[in-house]
Amino acid sequence: MFLVYLVIWAFTLLAGASAVWALAWAVQTGQFRDFRAGAASIFDEGEPVGRVTDAFPGEGKHP
Amino acid sequence: MTPAVAQPLPEGLPGDRLSRIQIDRSCRQTVVWYMVSAVAWLLAGSLLALLASIKMHTPGFLADADWLTFGRVRPAHLSTMIYGWGSMAGVGVLLWLQARLSRVRLPLPLLLPVTVVIWNLAVLYGTVRILQGASTGIEWLEFPVEVLAFIGFCMAVIIVASVLMFVRRQVKHTYVSQWYLFGAVLWFPFLYILGVVLSEAGDVRGVAKAAANWWFAHNVLGLWFTPIGLATAYYMIPKVIGRPVHSYHLSLLGFWTLAIFYNWAGTHHLIGGPLPAWLVTVGIVGSMMMFIPVITVAVNHHLTMAGNFHHLRTSPTLRFVVVAAMSYTVVSFQGSLTALRAVNEVSHFTHYTIAHAHLGVYAFFTMMMFGAAYYILPRLMNTEWHSARWIRVHFWATSLGMALYWLGLTWAGWRQGEMMNDPNIPFLAIVEYTKPWLHSRSLAGVLMTIGHVSFAWLVWNLVRQRGAALIGPTLLKRRKSA
Amino acid sequence: MNRSLTIALGIMLTVVLSMAGLVLIPNWQFREMQQHKDDDGNLWPVQLEGAEALGRAEYVSLGCVYCHTQQVRPPNYGADLDRGWGFRRTVPRDYLFDKPHLLGTMRTGPDLANIGARQPSRDWHMLHLYDPVITSPGSTMPPHRFLFEKVAPSDRAPERAIRLPDDSGWILPSARAESLFAYLRSLDKSYELPEAPQ
Repeated sequence: MFLVYLVIWAFTLLAGASAVWALAWAVQTGQFRDFRAGAASIFDEGEPVGRVTDAFPGEGKHP
Repeated sequence: MTPAVAQPLPEGLPGDRLSRIQIDRSCRQTVVWYMVSAVAWLLAGSLLALLASIKMHTPGFLADADWLTFGRVRPAHLSTMIYGWGSMAGVGVLLWLQARLSRVRLPLPLLLPVTVVIWNLAVLYGTVRILQGASTGIEWLEFPVEVLAFIGFCMAVIIVASVLMFVRRQVKHTYVSQWYLFGAVLWFPFLYILGVVLSEAGDVRGVAKAAANWWFAHNVLGLWFTPIGLATAYYMIPKVIGRPVHSYHLSLLGFWTLAIFYNWAGTHHLIGGPLPAWLVTVGIVGSMMMFIPVITVAVNHHLTMAGNFHHLRTSPTLRFVVVAAMSYTVVSFQGSLTALRAVNEVSHFTHYTIAHAHLGVYAFFTMMMFGAAYYILPRLMNTEWHSARWIRVHFWATSLGMALYWLGLTWAGWRQGEMMNDPNIPFLAIVEYTKPWLHSRSLAGVLMTIGHVSFAWLVWNLVRQRGAALIGPTLLKRRKSA
Repeated sequence: MNRSLTIALGIMLTVVLSMAGLVLIPNWQFREMQQHKDDDGNLWPVQLEGAEALGRAEYVSLGCVYCHTQQVRPPNYGADLDRGWGFRRTVPRDYLFDKPHLLGTMRTGPDLANIGARQPSRDWHMLHLYDPVITSPGSTMPPHRFLFEKVAPSDRAPERAIRLPDDSGWILPSARAESLFAYLRSLDKSYELPEAPQ
């Protein structure tokens, strides 16, 4: 029984600590500030916005 | 900053940005092996599914050995699909997405491939033990307790890898997918360990064990498969069509509301059962609140896709991903409605629930993983898929199979529930009523299995590099990093 | 910014909270739950022992729970009572000793919470387990012939064997079949509990 509660509380602390860590980090790096840049962060000069990146094999209009 | 401009690098980072090719190459060994293992389990799980489905209408089929009896084949099917196919495909996609989104190489190049081996052995051992009769008897947690140690170890390594990638990231912004993936990586081991502990602990008594059971089982879908699936959708849809997510702030709202509400919904599996009324009510409220994250996700994906639906014709990834995303909306609405007492009075204990579960795990999550595999694997293997025709067979067989499965069992399940609530109808008459629909389920299972075999054939040829060398849009320039 | 902090802080904690709310608090609510002593001094529910406990393990091992529930819903919610599946709704105390719980979520077959009271016959259960369509024509329950030994027809009945109705022989239940029957026979919630009058 003791073990059960130990596991549960260890997890609670772990979960809480990781939340605090994630939050502090998110705020510090401005994750909640610039939404448009966030949305664009998966694109880069090699695969910019506007480039379609998937097609059936042999059927795509490969540029 | 405008949305059309790529995020500039933070200043002062050492060296040049890694190219996508380098990142993909670093993922090859681990991710390909996770995906290939997942496909093998998908085939095993399909075989077990067909066995179980046939046994439901033809009970004498292969019934002369206890290890092949329905009550063992069915949990073996569920466990191979959840822990073999779903989780291993999920981990593969998750690691690749994190490497790409952080723009770093996949870390732990020795330890991560080892987890593939351990994970496979764990699922194999657990499945054999279930067939031998050593199941724990707890739905979704049938694997013997010791399996926890192996999968727990693998998850620990995966958490370390995730944290390392995050710490080393070369991108200033955390993309919404990373929120979901981080949630999944942290939530799943937490759920799994507590699920086992609460089930085994001596001082969790009687029906509190049932509450623990469904808290766990519902959250495996909600806090493990769902975030991985949504992270995939949030990456694949914008990436394939080349257009940023429509409302990025909405996507973050969707994440937080999912995190807050989903985990309270599990006890709706126990409506009408011998539990304190408030406990079930909490489950119902949690289920209702799920409308918020579901609607935000649905609206967002639809607005991102708006004007781009023609790509469905040309992109296999987009086809699977969009079908999956739409299924997510449907299954979530259905789930919330099923939690209403009046609906549940009929639908509970029937095939309706089975259809609903498959809509979630299959039409949403599995289709999402198919879509991701079509995008990821060619880039890892530097090879094109060898045949567009087999991809089409895969898509139509699985889509039509799933549609047939869901329509048939949803209808039959609802009627079954109505008949069960009419005490004048003998029970065996209800059994008789469901039989044709159970046959339609087997037919649907055959269709889906045809799709899975096509997919396995494609993957087999891909890893043997039998397709054309990839010169597609993703590897536009084979530039070496400076 | 501070608002974001508050929200995100809640994230991991909500999972912990939901676990506490859905599992630990109900469990705490049950902490004082004990067997009920009836007017004759008997304690209910009974903790299973011997063959009944072995039979329960067999029930788990063979996966009966995937088609059979063990819960009777309250009056005016479903037709569980009208179908004769119970004498009263079942309540948490009925499951005091259940590990693992076997509430079930599917009724491909009927509820078994009171099967021992509804069908006490050993012959019926053995024939039904051997091949369900003998007793229940049209049933889709799988036959459990592997729990029996079939004996050729003869004039002398083997001890404890059951005669097949088509006279094709006798079936001799294994120890597993006997314990499974002992468990099914024990499923009887006709005792009264103060919180659940009949």
